[in-house]
Amino acid sequence: MTPDALEDWRRLASSALFPRELAAGRIVPTELDPQLPARAGYVAALRHERIHFVSYPYEWSFGMLRDAALLHLDLLASALEEDLTLKDATPYNVQWRGAWPVFVDVGSFEPLRPGEPWAGYRQFCTLFLYPLLLQAYAGVPFHARLRGSIDGIPPEEARALLAGKARLRRGVFTHVALHSRLESRYGDRRRDVRLELKEAGFGKQLIQANVRRLAKLVRRLEWEPPRSTWLEYGPTTTYTEADAARKAEFVLKVARQRPRRLLWDLGANDGRYTRIAADHARYAVAIDGEHGVVENLYRTLRDERSDRILPLVVDLADPSPGLGWRGQERRALWDRGRPDLTLALALVHHLAIGRNVPLRELVDWLRDLQTELVVEFVAPEDPMARRLLAGKREGLHEDYSRASFERALGDRFEIARSEELASGTRVLYAATPRT
Amino acid sequence: MSSPLGYLDPGSGSMILQMLAGGFAAVAVTTKLYWRRLKRLVRFRKTDDGV
Repeated sequence: MTPDALEDWRRLASSALFPRELAAGRIVPTELDPQLPARAGYVAALRHERIHFVSYPYEWSFGMLRDAALLHLDLLASALEEDLTLKDATPYNVQWRGAWPVFVDVGSFEPLRPGEPWAGYRQFCTLFLYPLLLQAYAGVPFHARLRGSIDGIPPEEARALLAGKARLRRGVFTHVALHSRLESRYGDRRRDVRLELKEAGFGKQLIQANVRRLAKLVRRLEWEPPRSTWLEYGPTTTYTEADAARKAEFVLKVARQRPRRLLWDLGANDGRYTRIAADHARYAVAIDGEHGVVENLYRTLRDERSDRILPLVVDLADPSPGLGWRGQERRALWDRGRPDLTLALALVHHLAIGRNVPLRELVDWLRDLQTELVVEFVAPEDPMARRLLAGKREGLHEDYSRASFERALGDRFEIARSEELASGTRVLYAATPRT
Repeated sequence: MSSPLGYLDPGSGSMILQMLAGGFAAVAVTTKLYWRRLKRLVRFRKTDDGV
């Protein structure tokens, strides 16, 4: 920290909100590090509790982004009461402890300068509000836009996207249409708006009113996942309940061999198997490509107050890359911590048939994760695989067979155990990477 | 975690909007801001006439 930052920290540390929010688990536990940083110009350092797995808003479900937005507005409201403010308003300052949002950038708190507007308002719109409005009012998933632009959706673009009937919905006129008009009008003027506002008597009560109204708006936004086949996967699957019970037992047997640090469940769906294995791991990440599935899982985990399982929306055939300046501001999924146990149940056929990833490539990728593995192979005769194969050109997936999967897996992994499920078209493998 | 420099530019249009979005609390400030602009405009005009 620079001397200025240290002063801001002292101000925050002596506030009433800091201990209160720490106790509530809404700000990451942070303290002064007695070890001084070696770099010139820095006078102190902070140390905060470790976040088990870092994630980004383009990997969150609608409910996650909304809850992160509400956390941000809540903290800002508390800060304003004590003449503090937050200097930015980005969802990248929020991380997760399972299904609990946690604010991680204590350096964002600073004293409020009288007469100054909320510097983070525009950022709140582009990175929190517009993505939420887009999903809630237009049914357009926000992930591609947040991933495509590190600054989010600018007002002008939001206006174009929220056209037609959406323009009449709550909040769109003010925060989108008017905002965009004003921005284009003031874009090229050299007027000192900041000074003008100050002279006109702009005060914190205006920020407070805006924050209150935004919180009300965000709280009312809703998105219901479509009733796709995936959502029904849990209770009414095509395979029998007996198979599912065997699968649960298989997963449990591997999971309880020893405590794991980080579990990944790839294609987690309703999280049934994630939960089983997560009981024997310090932390678990439940990944699925279907936004609706992850939203439902998040809601359940949040209601259970789970702090051990983090649900994320990731398309494994196109996972999050490094982004931002030099591609290093946001790290690729693989660079944020590797699992020591990975579940890949009902996943291989989706990638191999649905996304045309060759079986060998797929196994190589799993091997690169350097993780112990529980993987399920769904034979081409299985109804689920048949459904995927139905739309494919004849002969395109001729190598998709149990024999070639086992060969590929055996080359890269030591297969510790395997079990054919009663349905006869699904096989489970427990495997450790070959060195 | 906002930009490589960690500084956020609030944007003039966004600042004006914040004033307008303040609801009831905003009326006085908004009136004052535009009243001052009007006064300044009139004053400029007068100076122009004088020259």
